[in-house]
Amino acid sequence: MAAADIPSAALRHHDLCSRGIRLARKMRSDVTDLLDIYVERQGLDASISVAAVDGVPAAAAERWAEQSGTQRLLDNLAAYRAFRTLLAQMLEEQREQLGDADAELGPALAAVLLQVSAFAYHLEELLELESRGAPAEEGSEPPAPPRLSLFEQKLRGLGVLRELAQWAVRSVRDLRQLAKHGPGTTLEGSGTALGLPESQ
Amino acid sequence: MFSGWNWAVHCFYLFLNICSFEVSGGLVQSCGHIIPESPVLALGSNFTALCILNESCLDFGNIYASQIIWKMKNKVVPKEQYREINITVSSVTFNDTSSLASPLTCNVLADGQIEQNIYGISVTVGLPPEKPENLSCIVYQLSNLRYPMNCTWNPGRHTFLDTHFRLKYRWSRESFPDCIPKSVNNSCTISDVQFFVNLEVWVEAANALGKAESDRLVFDPIEIVKPLPPHNLSVNSGILPTVLKLSWENRISAAVMKLKFNIRYRISSDTNWMQVPPEDTASPRTSFSIQGLRPYTEYVFSIRCMKEDGVGFWSDWSEEKVGVTTEDNPSKGPTVWRTIDASPSPAFWTVRLMWKALEPFEANGVILQYEVTVRAKPPLSHPPWRYNVTTTSLTLKLPNGTYEVTLIAHNRVGASPPSVLLIPSSNSKAPVKNIRTLPKDGKLWVGWTAPNNVLKYVIEWCLMSNSSDCITEWQVEPGNIQGTYLKGDIKPFKCYLITVYPLYADGQGSGQSVKAYLQQDPVSVDPSKTEYTLSSLTSDTLYTVRMMAYTDEGGRSGPDFTFTTQKFGRGEIEAIVVPVCLAFLLIVLLGVLFCFNKRDLIKKHIWPNVPDPSKSNIAQWSPQVPAKHNFSSKDQMYPEGSFTDVSVVEIEADDKKSFSEQDLKPFDLLKKEKSTSEGHSSGIGGSSCMSSPRQSVSDSDEGETTQNTSSTVQYSTVVLNGYRDQTPVQVFSRSESTQPLLDSEERLEDHAGGSDGTTQRQHYFKQNCGQDETKTDRPFFERAKQIISANEEDLAGFAQLQISGQSSQPLGFELEENTQEAALPDVLQTSTEGQTVRPETVEGNVPSVDEMPKSYLPQTVRQGGYMPQ
Repeated sequence: MAAADIPSAALRHHDLCSRGIRLARKMRSDVTDLLDIYVERQGLDASISVAAVDGVPAAAAERWAEQSGTQRLLDNLAAYRAFRTLLAQMLEEQREQLGDADAELGPALAAVLLQVSAFAYHLEELLELESRGAPAEEGSEPPAPPRLSLFEQKLRGLGVLRELAQWAVRSVRDLRQLAKHGPGTTLEGSGTALGLPESQ
Repeated sequence: MFSGWNWAVHCFYLFLNICSFEVSGGLVQSCGHIIPESPVLALGSNFTALCILNESCLDFGNIYASQIIWKMKNKVVPKEQYREINITVSSVTFNDTSSLASPLTCNVLADGQIEQNIYGISVTVGLPPEKPENLSCIVYQLSNLRYPMNCTWNPGRHTFLDTHFRLKYRWSRESFPDCIPKSVNNSCTISDVQFFVNLEVWVEAANALGKAESDRLVFDPIEIVKPLPPHNLSVNSGILPTVLKLSWENRISAAVMKLKFNIRYRISSDTNWMQVPPEDTASPRTSFSIQGLRPYTEYVFSIRCMKEDGVGFWSDWSEEKVGVTTEDNPSKGPTVWRTIDASPSPAFWTVRLMWKALEPFEANGVILQYEVTVRAKPPLSHPPWRYNVTTTSLTLKLPNGTYEVTLIAHNRVGASPPSVLLIPSSNSKAPVKNIRTLPKDGKLWVGWTAPNNVLKYVIEWCLMSNSSDCITEWQVEPGNIQGTYLKGDIKPFKCYLITVYPLYADGQGSGQSVKAYLQQDPVSVDPSKTEYTLSSLTSDTLYTVRMMAYTDEGGRSGPDFTFTTQKFGRGEIEAIVVPVCLAFLLIVLLGVLFCFNKRDLIKKHIWPNVPDPSKSNIAQWSPQVPAKHNFSSKDQMYPEGSFTDVSVVEIEADDKKSFSEQDLKPFDLLKKEKSTSEGHSSGIGGSSCMSSPRQSVSDSDEGETTQNTSSTVQYSTVVLNGYRDQTPVQVFSRSESTQPLLDSEERLEDHAGGSDGTTQRQHYFKQNCGQDETKTDRPFFERAKQIISANEEDLAGFAQLQISGQSSQPLGFELEENTQEAALPDVLQTSTEGQTVRPETVEGNVPSVDEMPKSYLPQTVRQGGYMPQ
């Protein structure tokens, strides 16, 4: 069992990146499973297209390859903090809709929520190593979302999970970049040769 | 123990408080109190309590601190432990709380005499919690998504107090709810943990005396996973007969954990597991080809997994899966040997080739057949003999000579390498020497001095027995050894004849034999005795006894004495024969009893009713007879009991004197005719004592009688249905019997023509002589009774039986009276063949004469042959 010894910053950085990548992969895998469960439980069509949902960060980024490592971490952290809030909200809505009778969707949502929290924690640790520190979360309570109809809630949930799956892929790519170049590295111009991380 | 004690203390304390409440609230005001109030104390520490009196009591009851008495339970605390702090406060000190007992009370002596309780407290003594040690955690995989983590620790010594344990865990920036053990104090399970994030875990123990925390563990839960074993194992035969491919499914995602594996396998019939080298399965995979297996063998496989880097725990072994390798060529030929019998003709041998079936690991499949090739060596010249057999022996008749036998085993895949046995015309090579045996470890070892250049040895052995032939067993051993254990069921106390043959590349040495026992039974006998009984010997077995006499200096053996035990022991034959005889006798007795009980039925089947001559169309008598014979009436009729089976026909003419001479003529003729006959009549066909057949009734056609009975019909049956005044029906039935008619019948018929139609009463007596005839007698008795009963009835319309006596009868039966006129023209009797026979009509009355005997008795009447009416 690992003791709480403190490795050097490089080793610590590498370890955090490495485990962050695996966590993101697992998250990607679990979110994919969760999407199937969600579509089935909510009675949705898997092929339904959902327009961009307000408050859900988009994984697609312009000039992704030109971003610095810190910027990547900050973008990721902002996204996962948002996802943490959205998933907690979804979990609450799901409990209101289905109660505790649903033994599959609720636990799966909770598990993904936990992973999102864990990944956010990883990102914060990495930012600490970057000597930047994690930015404080904006307010303890996000602005209350407009009251949505039940169907709109379902659609938004579907949009959240789909975007989270996209973010899991992007996060793997971001952390691979970070692991390759070490802490505090600016990756301008270096990402053109990078391939897509293996999809899960 | 302590908790029980504490409970009792609490109860008592509650009681005290209630009393105090009542006193203070009503009758008596409380005069003081103790501090501290109900303390929890560490075991072994010191403790001081103060009893503080109310000032109001000072004035009221003149109570001062100097009067205070401290008590534990009901025991007064020694005054040395008291201290009077001031006029209202007294303290008591205990150096070791282990000597404390609850309740601790503060009392005073009111008025110097009466002890009164002021206040009381309960004291709880215990220990602070120890630091929990040996905290360890493991994450169990329950399903693809569920990973609960169980942590255990050593809770430390018993505190005698209510101590709570909490498992605490958190990420560095986020805490989670504590895990609180249920029913236990040394483990707790967190329902789900998140991998790839370091978790800080520790245990906190707390009771009234303090808190303690374990060391903190920081780890990524992925490092302590015990995964589920792979499942859905399948085994497929590989291309090679020594390879099986094992496939499976992993139950933990590669995204979560990369796995390495252990694969173990065993032959189904074996319990020892073998393992694939771990380094061969140290990488993620879902299949593996296991090599180096035996062909056509059933294997059992099992697999387990753990994290690829070896951090964590091995899973349990998976369920077992069975697979069978494919067949391969037999790996070797069967060992072959022969026996040669030259007894019928020295020029020809009866050679019996025999070989051992291949062991499964040699056969590599199912042996379908053996191919035997026998090649004659010069000077013999003969094309090879080839045989395909499925058994493990082959008997051949060969000319005396040298042969080479080649044996090949075939299974579905192919053939074994050939086994070759040279059968020389004579065993001219060097034999083994100094053959000897030695029992060892329950087995019989045989050794020899080997000649040179021996290819291999064949050891034959057989159990020597007088009762059966020596059944030879054999085994082949390599040429480089000089001794071996016999491989077979060697019994102790049995003599074995062991023969060793050396086989050379170009010939064979003659066999050398030795007799040996696996075990002989030495018996120590008292030197003063010259007799000893050997017990527990096997029957029909050859034994050898060797006596050895010993002194202190050593022993010397006498000559061997051989004997054979008997097949049956003393008394065994008797023990077999006597029960068998008794059983036989019992069966016979039961059979006799059965036959006796069922004698009526048996008689009916064995001696069927003989056609009754009295019912023939020849003999006629009164139909007015009762239907059944009544024995009691018979007894009444013949009270003297001088005869037992007598049938009576009483023919009673109304006027005996009315018989004329003419009437008697036919009778005379009959008498004359009958007198020439040597036969005897019993009156009843075969059922009587009549010893020789008589001429049939048809014979009388040649005489002067009026009989016209067909010669083929010798007996007829007359069925008389009628009783007293009932209308009788007379039916005549033609019998198939060819037995001669009775004298009486003949006589009656003879006299029928002489009848004058006078109404007569007929009595027909017949006495059987044979005791065994009782059964067939019964009908006659019945008939007799019928006839007797009908004596006084109207006989008109019935056939009349005319009976005449015959003086010439050697046994002296007599016809007492003649019959009356009989006329039965219309009564028919159907024979058994369905023929309708019209009975002979008897016309006229047979004259009755005084000289005529009045009764008819068969020949062997025991009581003088005459029965008076």
